[in-house]
Amino acid sequence: MLPQRVKRAITENPKKLANLIDLANLPSTLREFVGQSQISRLGCFMRVWSYIKANNLQDPNNKNVVICDDKLRSILLGKPRVELAELPALIKLHFPKERK
Amino acid sequence: MFWVTIYFLLNRLLLKFWAWAVPKKIIQLVWIGLAQACLRPCLLKPCKTLKSQNQRRRKRKRRKKTKKMGKIPPSFRTSTVPVTTLLKNPPAVLPKQSTVLETPQKPHHFPKKRPQPSGKTKKTRTPIEDPKSPVIFNSPNLLDAKKLFASITTTSTTPLDFRFHNALLQSYSSISTVNDSISFLRHMIKSQPSFSPERSTYHILLSQSCKSPNSDLSAVHQTLNLMVTHGFPPDRVTTDIAVRSLCSAGREEHAIELVKELSLKHSPPDSFTYNFIIRHLCKTRALSTVYNFIDELQNSFQLKPDLVTYTILIDNVCNGKNLREATRLLEVLGEAGFKPDCYVYNTIMKGYCILDKGSEAIGVYKKMKEEGVEPDLVTYNTLIFGLSKSGRVKEARKFLDIMAEMGHFPDAVTYTSLMNGLCREGNALGALALLEEMEAKGCSPNSCTYNTLLHGLCKLRMLERGIELYGVMKSGGMKLEKASYATFVRALCKEGRVAEAYEAFDYVVESKSFDDVTAYSTLENSLKWLRKAREQGLAS
Repeated sequence: MLPQRVKRAITENPKKLANLIDLANLPSTLREFVGQSQISRLGCFMRVWSYIKANNLQDPNNKNVVICDDKLRSILLGKPRVELAELPALIKLHFPKERK
Repeated sequence: MFWVTIYFLLNRLLLKFWAWAVPKKIIQLVWIGLAQACLRPCLLKPCKTLKSQNQRRRKRKRRKKTKKMGKIPPSFRTSTVPVTTLLKNPPAVLPKQSTVLETPQKPHHFPKKRPQPSGKTKKTRTPIEDPKSPVIFNSPNLLDAKKLFASITTTSTTPLDFRFHNALLQSYSSISTVNDSISFLRHMIKSQPSFSPERSTYHILLSQSCKSPNSDLSAVHQTLNLMVTHGFPPDRVTTDIAVRSLCSAGREEHAIELVKELSLKHSPPDSFTYNFIIRHLCKTRALSTVYNFIDELQNSFQLKPDLVTYTILIDNVCNGKNLREATRLLEVLGEAGFKPDCYVYNTIMKGYCILDKGSEAIGVYKKMKEEGVEPDLVTYNTLIFGLSKSGRVKEARKFLDIMAEMGHFPDAVTYTSLMNGLCREGNALGALALLEEMEAKGCSPNSCTYNTLLHGLCKLRMLERGIELYGVMKSGGMKLEKASYATFVRALCKEGRVAEAYEAFDYVVESKSFDDVTAYSTLENSLKWLRKAREQGLAS
């Protein structure tokens, strides 16, 4: 099911993906974390995820939960614990919504 | 250390050998219609016998089949062979700022090297003596090129033969304009009286003029005229090079025009060139254009399509799911006095399999038997694939035994097709059992086998076995395919094992299985789905 859907999404609606790849101007909080003024949503996700991995921020008892440090808290709405499942949605908040 | 040196030298040697072998090889391979990219696999093993050529042909067919027919089954492609390198021409060798001379990409201008002596004597040659040590032209400026040429000729101690000049010209032409290249050639002739250009020298110019993006054929004509005035009227090789260069530059109309013109004046295309252009036209133009072209050549120059041409045409219409046209072509082929061979039948069978028409595929098989055409491995693989795909796994299974009886040993493609069929039926355990059977028979599964299984297991909610399999794939460094990855991630999310889904995402990125964007959007979609399911209380 999914691959065909993704394929269709790519061929029919290139803008949907553009929203993932296009560089966006970052708000100041995120700019501090990333160290760049512009980044794509995909790039930003990769940064955050590799930051989590590098600093071993996953809860050792439940790998699905991230225990945020100060730096991470500043960009993830100040939550102390974030589920991995929410991560993409939280990062998306920093980026401009899709224009329709 | 010694062996490393030997190995290196041997490689060099073989590259060279390839370089001279190509003019012939190209012609042999033309009808296969794959461009230079295809030559690479056989680079180290120039094969001479018809048998090995046949094997190659078959291999190609099989590869193609694995690719083409992989449309619906999720993971049917052999990822060991990057399919793109097989089907696409290598990027049309556009001028780069610096081109090293000895790129193995375009050696077809260098004619026969001296007849290959036994390997040992050549091994002792040090690379320094090689006249074709890399020379780089940095600027397309003619004056700079002349200066560089002068400095090379004055410093060189060994006598320079025409191959050296060809190499220089090749290097320069890759960055300059056609006119500059011609001037440079004139300059070389003038300043080095010992150098007399060969046909191949002009072929370099020809291919350059074909590749330059012109709106007409004037540059090509200029080069051809130059050839004629210097006593090299265009021959088959000229036609071939011109057609290939034009096609690789996307100038099919010009290629057609030039073929007609050359057939009229000098040399008609041989069957390899002819089939190359047909194949290329099939890919890029409407079918009517191809038919018009065939008719025109037949009427004006008595150039008739051969069996290979018909196979190409049938293949093309079958891929377009136009089976009626394929049947018509089969009749035309018979009227033209050809007897369909194994490859024609395989192609038609593939056409039916694309359309999920198992009975018709069996019909083709029976017809082959009636006509006395011996089915080969590809036939059986196609048949088994088609039957599995249309849900007739039991019958497919029977053919597994039949093919073994006929002396064709089932390979990874056969088993993967069967596993795919079993998974579609919902019999994942049967598929796993088949994997064991396959390994017991000494046939090693490839990455698409694993991908098929992973996909099937995840679909059939046997996630634990799937994770196990994924572990095997990871330790084998196999690439994931989009479909199996997506199913896997979805299954993991369904179980609330998000961390593992992230891990799979990391593996895809790390192993470069496919692009990050797809990997991420798949993951994101699955997580989105998870959130919705949780809201509705459907998932933990």
